[in-house]
Amino acid sequence: MLRATRRTALLTAAAATLPRIALGQADQRPSLTIAVQKLSNSNTLEPPREQSNVGFRISNLFAEPLIETDWRGDLSAKPGLATAWRRTGERTLEFDLREGVRFHDGRTITAEDVVFSFGERLFGSDPSRADTAGRDGVLAGGTGKEPPSEVVAVSRQAFPGLQRMEVVRPGVVRFVNAQPDVTLEARAQQNIGVIFSRTAFADAESWLAWARRPVGTGPYRIVELRPDSALTLEAHDDYWGGRPPLRRIRLVEVPEVSSRLNGLFSGEFDLACDISPDLVSEVERNARFEVLGSPINNIRIMAMDRTNPVLADARVRRAMTHAVDRRVIVEALWAGRTEVPRGLQLENYGPMFLPDWENPRFDPAEARRLLRDAGYRGEPISYRLLNNYYTNQVSNAQIVVEMWRQVGLNVQIEMKENFDQLVARTPGRGIRDWSNTSTFGDPVAGLLRSYGPRTNAARYGEWTNEEFDRAAVALTTSNDMGQRRRLFRRMLEIVEREDPGYLVLHQAAAFTAKRKDLVWRASKGWPMLFGPGQVGTGA
Amino acid sequence: MVRFLGLRLARALLTLVLVVTFAFIVLRLSGDPALLIMSADAPPEAIAAFRQAWGLDDPVWQQYLRYFTAIFRGDLGQSMRDGRPAIELVAERVPATLALTLPALAMKIGLGIPAGIYAALHRNSFADRAVMLLAVAGFTVPSFVLGLLLVLVFAVQLGWLPSGGQDSWRHAILPVLTLGIGGAAVLARFTRSAMLEVLGQPYMRTALAKGVPWHVAVRRHALPNAAIPTVTIVGFMVGSLLAGAVVVESVFSWPGVGRLLVVAVANRDLAVVQCILLLVATTMVSANLIVDLLYGALDPRLRAQAKGANG
Repeated sequence: MLRATRRTALLTAAAATLPRIALGQADQRPSLTIAVQKLSNSNTLEPPREQSNVGFRISNLFAEPLIETDWRGDLSAKPGLATAWRRTGERTLEFDLREGVRFHDGRTITAEDVVFSFGERLFGSDPSRADTAGRDGVLAGGTGKEPPSEVVAVSRQAFPGLQRMEVVRPGVVRFVNAQPDVTLEARAQQNIGVIFSRTAFADAESWLAWARRPVGTGPYRIVELRPDSALTLEAHDDYWGGRPPLRRIRLVEVPEVSSRLNGLFSGEFDLACDISPDLVSEVERNARFEVLGSPINNIRIMAMDRTNPVLADARVRRAMTHAVDRRVIVEALWAGRTEVPRGLQLENYGPMFLPDWENPRFDPAEARRLLRDAGYRGEPISYRLLNNYYTNQVSNAQIVVEMWRQVGLNVQIEMKENFDQLVARTPGRGIRDWSNTSTFGDPVAGLLRSYGPRTNAARYGEWTNEEFDRAAVALTTSNDMGQRRRLFRRMLEIVEREDPGYLVLHQAAAFTAKRKDLVWRASKGWPMLFGPGQVGTGA
Repeated sequence: MVRFLGLRLARALLTLVLVVTFAFIVLRLSGDPALLIMSADAPPEAIAAFRQAWGLDDPVWQQYLRYFTAIFRGDLGQSMRDGRPAIELVAERVPATLALTLPALAMKIGLGIPAGIYAALHRNSFADRAVMLLAVAGFTVPSFVLGLLLVLVFAVQLGWLPSGGQDSWRHAILPVLTLGIGGAAVLARFTRSAMLEVLGQPYMRTALAKGVPWHVAVRRHALPNAAIPTVTIVGFMVGSLLAGAVVVESVFSWPGVGRLLVVAVANRDLAVVQCILLLVATTMVSANLIVDLLYGALDPRLRAQAKGANG
């Protein structure tokens, strides 16, 4: 039995003060819980394996590229892990690495880590053999570190001409390309090119284990990924940009939008992502909450199959492009909170942006004339779509079909369950929904990812055009900016006007509901940013 | 008895084979896993590489044979999305699902059967009508509507309970209630009608005419006879312990077998879907077998019939 002596009383009193001291030293920064519809499609966090909107959303939290994107500004390039970069030839680009940057494992980043991140990590232990034959997919249980075949293929598409990344001297690295490429700087902005720790990769037990907990330099380090459930990140206090404002970020997968909002209203979540535009007013009816969002670097399009017997006549496809009033769709379905882009291009294309380019104008009379000239007599055209895979997809389809009906087009909706059914080469394939994300500011990262040689439009056999394909190759390899602009304009003329391959609808927009007292701004792309100076709690 | 069990087991095996085959055909012919897992924007080379790595380029019949022979070696395949053995993925989720469905089953039995018996014994009373009103309401409201209603009241308005997730036992309360209320309503309705039917039987009249007290007649004659249809429903509920919470798990973001099934079907992650289906079918078939055996234990006439048939 403990006797109540003066000594025990003193010890007890001293012990009682201990938690208070610990509390006084405890991290007082707030933590955030964010409800998302999906955490990761592949259940991994390695960017080349998770090239999806959900992957783009979170990679900036834990990893950074050499050249960063001004996501909250005009999407222009800004220094990331490289403080400066310069061309040393048509095929080479040198980077000065930021000094004193620490990985989440405490090590300081070196030129060798950059070489690893553009070599073994993306292309395997023998980057010269960057083909995919003989590689395995992701297989658990093994201790192999070779990236799976699809990672190599995706990386090769992101850096098609990369020969090697080499160390020039400590703190300086050189990107060597096989051929001249004016987009090297822009390509370095892609999240596939983030820099990870070579040592941490070597210490990981398998590629899958690594891909679930990669070690980068971002403001937050990965604590745990519970597949299909939650991702927990903690502040990386050695972050080169300053002390992160949040102690912990927890992303929780909540598939139902109503459940995400209920959790926000009940105070369990601080932010609820992936809110559809029709719910904005419902959220904002409560004075404590607001919805943030703006157009992002993704454009909704409707792809046209020129092998369809009715659509084989370009005049029918052109009529379709003239029959759609895009502004009405943006106002009716998006409450005016997104934009109609000038064709399949974004303003962050910089010198490649064509400010005078226009979508085919809304002109029902012209549409009727084209249909008359084509001898169209109401033959049915199928329109395949998914059940709201894209925001407002079904409502949008119904409106567009009515607009087409107004000019005499007989378009019939066919609901499909997945993308494979959407693009299946079965009789009657005509129109389908699609979208295009510009992974960096150049047409090769937008239009040329979907249309042109070795793209999905060609692979699915929906649309090819010889002149367009020649221009695409020239655009990819040309170093002459004037020539590149001319080629891009010509390509848009072909694919949007003369021989339409798609119809541009509008820019996609991402909406996030949040508590009003949380000071935070949504970015102009998928990434959510919570670095120093990017989030705070109001008074 | 051995012949009876043998026949039942053979039928169960045939059911499992049919389930696996049907699921394989439907899933393989209705979507390409490579396109679904890699996304529609993935470069064609990446999709081709994925298809090659997982043998998706082979003819469907070859893939089926490969899958089927692997099952007999005890290999249920690997998740194309996750890269891990399907059985491991599913086994990981089973406890989460049982954490909802077992308490819900207890609630269904504990509430539904007594309520049904009470309503039948007090037929046309206020209590009977109240029980039946609640039962019809609980039976007809879909679980996703009931779940959202409970969240609105107990999480959003009152703030007493969390709206979703799996962080503590408090997170399980609303999903268990959602599952339990619907099931209890079903059981109450079945139990009541079974009891009413039995209470109107001549043997009950005879028992009462012989001077047997009412409560003894109910306990000795009514309850055992009314148990047969109730046991059937309970058996079905036991059979759906693993897959009976698909909707509720989605509404409450509960990472159990049901959520895994939804994600796996959407991605055409065949090995995982098949593994869950096999597990569910096995549970269902086992539950049916147990119910069949219970029939014999509960009803002497069935025992006699079985003996007569064997003799």
